[in-house]
Order: sequence, then structure tokens, then C-alpha cells
Amino acid sequence: MSPILYGLLFLVVAPIFGGLLAGADRIVSARMQGRVGPPLLQPFYDVGKLFQKEARHVNPVVEPLLLGHVGFMAAAGAMAVGGTDLIFTAFVFALAALCLVLAAGSVNSPYSFAGAERELIVLLASEPFFILMLAAICKVTGASTYAGVLASPELVALQLPGVLLAFLFVATIKLRKSPFDISTSHHPHQELVSGLTSDMSGRLLAYVELAHWYESALLCAFVVLFFNWSVPLGLLAFAIAYGLEVLVDNSTSRAKWQLVLRSTWAVTLLFTGGNVLALFLLAR
Amino acid sequence: MSPLIVFLVAFPLGVAGVLLLITKGAVRNVIVVAACGVVAAAALVTALTFGNGEAVFFGLPGGLTPGHAILIMEAMIAIFIVVVSLQNRRLLAPIMALAQLAIAVYLDLGGHLPDPDPQRLFWFDRLTMVMVLVIGIVGPLICIHALGYMRDYQRSNPTIGGRRTSFFFLLFLFLASMFGLVVSNDLPMLHVFWEITTLCSFLLIGYTRTKETVGYAFDALNMNLLGGLGFSVAILLLAGQPDGLDLAKLTAGPAAAALLPAIALLSLAGITKSAQMPFSSWLLGAMYAPSPTSALLHSSTMVKAGVFLLLRLSPAMAGSAVGTLVAFVGLLTFLFVSLVAVTEQNTKKVLAYSTIGSLGLIVGCAGIGTPELVWVGVMIVIFHALAKALLFLVVGTLENRLYTKDMENFDTLLSRMPRVSVLALTGIAGMFIAPFGIVVAKWTAIRAFLDVPGFAGAAFLVIMAFGSSLTIFYWGKLLIKVLSMRSIEPYERSVESRVTRYEWFAETVLAVGVIGVAAGLGLISEHIVGPYALSAFAATPRVFLHLDPAMVVVMLVAVLFLPALALWSSRRTGFDMADFYTSGRSANAGHLMGAALGGTRTVTLRNYYLEGVIDGPLVFRAGTLVCGVVLVGMGLVAVVVAR
Repeated sequence: MSPILYGLLFLVVAPIFGGLLAGADRIVSARMQGRVGPPLLQPFYDVGKLFQKEARHVNPVVEPLLLGHVGFMAAAGAMAVGGTDLIFTAFVFALAALCLVLAAGSVNSPYSFAGAERELIVLLASEPFFILMLAAICKVTGASTYAGVLASPELVALQLPGVLLAFLFVATIKLRKSPFDISTSHHPHQELVSGLTSDMSGRLLAYVELAHWYESALLCAFVVLFFNWSVPLGLLAFAIAYGLEVLVDNSTSRAKWQLVLRSTWAVTLLFTGGNVLALFLLAR
Repeated sequence: MSPLIVFLVAFPLGVAGVLLLITKGAVRNVIVVAACGVVAAAALVTALTFGNGEAVFFGLPGGLTPGHAILIMEAMIAIFIVVVSLQNRRLLAPIMALAQLAIAVYLDLGGHLPDPDPQRLFWFDRLTMVMVLVIGIVGPLICIHALGYMRDYQRSNPTIGGRRTSFFFLLFLFLASMFGLVVSNDLPMLHVFWEITTLCSFLLIGYTRTKETVGYAFDALNMNLLGGLGFSVAILLLAGQPDGLDLAKLTAGPAAAALLPAIALLSLAGITKSAQMPFSSWLLGAMYAPSPTSALLHSSTMVKAGVFLLLRLSPAMAGSAVGTLVAFVGLLTFLFVSLVAVTEQNTKKVLAYSTIGSLGLIVGCAGIGTPELVWVGVMIVIFHALAKALLFLVVGTLENRLYTKDMENFDTLLSRMPRVSVLALTGIAGMFIAPFGIVVAKWTAIRAFLDVPGFAGAAFLVIMAFGSSLTIFYWGKLLIKVLSMRSIEPYERSVESRVTRYEWFAETVLAVGVIGVAAGLGLISEHIVGPYALSAFAATPRVFLHLDPAMVVVMLVAVLFLPALALWSSRRTGFDMADFYTSGRSANAGHLMGAALGGTRTVTLRNYYLEGVIDGPLVFRAGTLVCGVVLVGMGLVAVVVAR
């Protein structure tokens, strides 16, 4: 099968995967809190209902920007899996995140605006890591595409243990998990007002959910890159990592943005930077 | 070729002379517009005449050589600097100017200057062509914009009086010297043009002649004269070497160890001119000059002379410790100024930091010196010249209409000034959004850094990852402000109608240029920048731009996304806007919010500047120190290797 077909397949399978993951997340979280939790398919029912509801538009640019958010996020995933240069997809990934920031920022309400600014901060915190991670994976395997990495005889995780550890840390931001969910605060419904999405309703909110499903699937695809010898092994690793994220989510309270930025940069610099440096110094 | 080059230098010089005599505004407008058309046409004709793209060398018509003209020019520059400096009681500048003059006198009258080959005075290749087109197209557009801008500027600064004649004189003098600079192959001649651009910059920064701007003007003069002095000493060192003063022969391949001190000194000149740390402060002071000056000299052309020289030197530096240290200066500058830019609220200064950062990337690429990275460097030169000139002009327009340069005051711009917003968004998209050249360039650079061995490669990657994420943050903040919307009063709409037609013309053409160049990325790479990078290194043919269909589609969508969105939303009238959420307090889209005792308050929102995490002034000082140390290290290494 050609890589382009994998890319097209991603467009279809990723939202299903992301939605199921969100459903499982809610069940596991509920059990941790001593509740039963909703059915596995609840996220699909929710999003379906959101699409039927009336959307309140605060201004005309929000909807196109959110469509851009979904579109670029899906494109980033499809391109990564579909054979585009991996480092390039990091930039598309960032562009997708930026669209969400702009959509919330353009609303001009105090809550949305604070959420947008915080999302920009977590983007600033996490982006260096993703660029370095993909560059390091390309360096280790000598490949530039997804298929190339999977075909490489080097097991990436063995060469990049520091980067993998840092991934666990940074993924907390991208999965919007506590303590790093400073821009949304929507997962375990800890607060009355959620930042970024306060002024999004109906299908506008559904776009955000959909994009998040694509994002989760892309993160899973990144984890598989580390365990490039076997895709099932990679999926298992992602499941374990996600379980840890849920545990952390339910056992920590939200951090201040200063801490998020400082700690993410420190982890990126020490673990990822250190790993990359070792790689360059020990290169044959 | 040679008559065309002479025309490119002589014509703006003649126009400058004429403009000095004209005091009537209407006449000046006609002359400037006509002259700009001629300059742009001449630049285009020169580029077309260039033909198959192989490097050509030629001399003055009739086989003339500059002879003592160079010494006479150097003397005039030095005397001018001495007189102006002493009037303002400054001592450092005259000392450096006289030192340069002493070197010129020693070389010329002492007979130490080898006669240049009369047929190799000028050098025209694809890089020259890129520079000639940038100067010859962006330059005139900025001059036309200045006609509208300066009228309003004069109104808000009435004390300046009738000095507008000298303003346009300096702009055209500058264009002439820039053309001369990029086509010169003879280093002493290049140095003369180099010093004239320094002088133009000095005079334009000090244009308002307040105590503050005169201070900044002398900062710029001192730092650039230091670079110029380095250039002079390099000429002194090279004069004794066979073919040392022939730039093309000097940079044909890796330099011999004996030549490294001279190469390092020339790099110092390039680093000062392109405002790299530790010399970045002069470019920030230069932002107090009128906006067309910032657009022309301090972003799109003059500072590019610095990176132009470094790109020329790239094959000579490649693989040497000097080259690696130059690369560290550039990339560290990129990182440090990006950190500072995050904390800056003055839009013009954010643009200045972003300019220094982009130049830093080019310096980094030139220092490492592989065909891929020189390709990246030239690409950034092209994209940056167009997009940043556009942004400076837009900020100039906003400044004259809204009386502010503060980013926070540009909020809801899309509602208030939709047409200007579209232009601003095109410029911002051109600077950093994924599809455009600079991101393609960054991506190619990261790929190339993977092949740099050892500590340097890892360090470059880390710097690049953090630096480019920081750019997302400060551009993102500006975008949030520009893109936000609210309902507005009719009188607010009328502000935009007072923008002059000169400004509309220049900004629209630049915006179209930004999109056009982005769309023509593949062609530019294949026919101009790619072949240049190969010929500079005599490398085996290869493809520099690896685009697959998905990338092209994503690029095309993203290229037009924000400008098209802005255009579309500004045309939508009667949109039913819901009120935003304010915890149950009454509020409306006009930004009034219910307050205590039945009163109302206006909502004001302010961006984050990361106070408490990043200390701007401290980071700036740290960067200056670190890059200063690296630069001193470069000098020591060059001397040690030469022995």
C-alpha cells in the first residue's frame, strides 16, 4: 500500500480512534473517582448533538479559523503518516494550534482571551520539543518519512530514551491534561468557566472536539515512531502512556503558566537537548 | 552590461542631486514617482540582460579604473564625519574615520595598492541579480510610500521644517550606493559604497535632530564605522596577497590559513552592518527614524548588505573555525533577540528584533557554508525583503492614522481598518506562517543542521527549535490583536479613508509581491537560488526544494488563508453578532461591560509579555556578552590559525 493511502486512511480512522480514546478516558477517569462513567461512545453522541445545536457566532472570523484548526490538524496527521517530510509536519501542527488561538483571541471576551493567551504560552512551551523530537528521530534513522522510520533497523526508543521521557511530559500539554491544561481546564470539569472555548457553542465547539481527536491520533502516531520495530508494540506503549496521563490528570491540580513554561523548557532542554547532543557527539 | 550598471548607480545619484534643489512638494512628487519608475525598469532590464545566469565580470566603459577617485571619496567621507562629529562633540567616530583615511592614504599614496584588473571591477551573478531586484523594486516602492508618509509625518512633527528635500536626497543617494555595493568586485571600491550607506543611515536616523535621535544616530555610526575599520584593515592585509582584493577570486573556495584574519575582519564588517549581537543595539535606536527609513535601510536593503557580504564569503569560510564561530554569532543572535521580542510591546521594535533574528539565521547559514544553507540564506533575503518592508510600511501608516506604535492599541483593527488589516496579515503570513518562504527555509535549515557533525550540529538544532517557537509567540500575539473584532462607530471607519494613495499603492504592490514570490517559490529555487548555491561551491547538481503534492496543497491553502479571511469578513455587513460571555454580567460587542452601581466599564485586554519568566533587558545584555565573547574568540582563532 502506498503511503498516500495511509494518509487518506488517517483522515477517516483518526477521528474514530480519538473519539474512542476520549470515551475510554472518561470511563477510566470516572472509575478513578469512584463513579461508573458514561458509555464508551458518549463523545460521539456529544459531538453529534453539538452539530445539531444552534451556534452562537460572536464574530464572523471564528468559524473559518476553527475550520482551519480542524483542517490543518487533520492535514498534519495525514501528511505525517502519508509520507511527507516529518520535520515539515511539525510546522503544520503548529499552524493548526495557532488557528485555535486566533479563533479564541478574536472573540475579545475576557475569558476567551485569557484562554487564547495561555494556549499561545503552551504552544511556546511545547513547540521546541516537537521540532527537536522529529529532528532527532530523522537523525537516528537517517530517514525523513514515516515509512522510512518504520523500515529502519534502529529501534528509535533505545537511542532516544531522553526524548521519550520528555514526550510523556510534553504530551500532557497536548492532551490537555492537568496540571498543564491551563488554557481549557475542561477535562475533569474542575472549574466553572473554561478559557479557550468559553464563547464557542454548537458546531463551533464540535470542531474543537474533532480537532482534538485528530491531535490525539497524531500523538499516538508519534509514539509508534519510537517503537518502530512493531506497530502493535507502539500502540501498547501509547496505551500505557495514556493511562499514566489519566492518572496524573486525576491526581494533580492545575499549575500556573509560569511553572508550565519553565518546566517544559527545562525538560526539553535537559532530556531532549541532552539526548540530541549525545547523539551528535557519539555519531560514527 | 556595463552601461546598465553605470546607469543604475549614476541615475539615482543624478536624481538625488536634482531633489536637493527642489523645495516645492508637487514638483518633488512628480520627480520621485517618475524616477522610481525608471529605477525599477532599469533594475528589471539589468536582470533580463543578465541572460544565461553565468557570472560575468566587466569594467567601466573605455577601460577606466577608479585610480585616485577611491582615495578622494574616502577623504570626503572622513572629513564629513569629522566635521559633523566635532559639531556634536563626539570623538570616537572621527578617530575611526581618520584611521580608515590613514589606511587609504598609506595604500594609495604609498603605492601599496595593486592596480585592479580594469575588466574585473564589477561582478554580476545570480546573487547580484537578486540584490539588484530587491533594491530596484522594493526601494522605489518605499520612496513612493514616503511621499505620502512624510507629508503626515511633517504635520505631526512641525519642528522639522523644510528638511524633506534632504530626506529624499538621502533616499536616492542610498539607492545609488546600494547598487554600487552589490555589483563591486574590487574590495576598495566596495568599501567606499559601504561607507556611503553607513553615512546615509547615520543622517536618516538623526533626521529629526532631537537630542535623542542624534544619540542613536551616533550609536549607529560608531558601530558601523568599527565594521568599516575592520573592512579597511582587511583591505590592508589583503593588498599584499596576489588577487587578494578581487572578491570573486578571494571567495572561490576555502580560504588559505594566511587569509583567515582578513576573512574574519570582513565578517566583522558584515556582522556590524547586519546588526548582529553584540552590535544589535544600533538597529533598535534606528527605529526612531521615520518608518520609510526603517523599511528601506533597516530591514529590506542596507542591513542586507551585511549578510550579502557574508554570503559572498561563505565558500571561503566553509569548514573553518572562523566560519563555525560566525554561525554561532548569527544563530545565538537569532535566539536571544527572539526571546527579547516576546517581551516587547512597541510594534516597530518587535519588527526590528524579528529583522535582527532573520538576519541572524542568514549569518548562521553563511557561516556554516554548505550549498543547502546558502540556498536557505538567499531565500530568506528575498522573502524577508518583501514581507518586512510591507510590515514596516503598514506600521508607518497605522502610526500616522492611530498615533501609536503600541501593539496593544492595534486591537480590533480588522473592524476599524479592514484594508490595512488585509495588508498587515499578508505581511505577517509572509514572515512566519508555514507555507511561505521563511518556514520552508527554516525547515531546510533544520534538515541541513542534521548533517553538521559534533557539538555544533546539536547546538544549532536546539537553537533553531527554541528560536522558531518564540517567533510563533510574538507574531501570534500581534495576529490576535489584528484579527479581533467588535462593532464600531461610523467615525472610526473614516480613519482608513485618510490613508494616502501613495501608501496604498506601495503597500498593495508589496503585498501582491509577497504572495507572488510565495507562489513562485519553486521557480525561484530552480532557476535562480539553486543554481547560485551550486555555482558558489562548485557543487554537484542537486534539488534543494523537496515538495510533495500534499505540501503544495497545504501551502496554497495556508498562503491565502488569513488575508482571504480578513477580506471576506470585512465585506460581510449586517452580521448578527452575539454578545460574548462575561459570567452573567451584561456586556456587548462594543466592549462595554456592566459594573457596580449600574455603571458601565470598557473591557480592555492585554497580551502576555511573560514578565517574571523572561527579563528582556537582561536577556539582551546576556546575548551581547555571549556573542561578544564568541566574536573575540573568532578573532583569536583566526590569528592563531594564520600563524
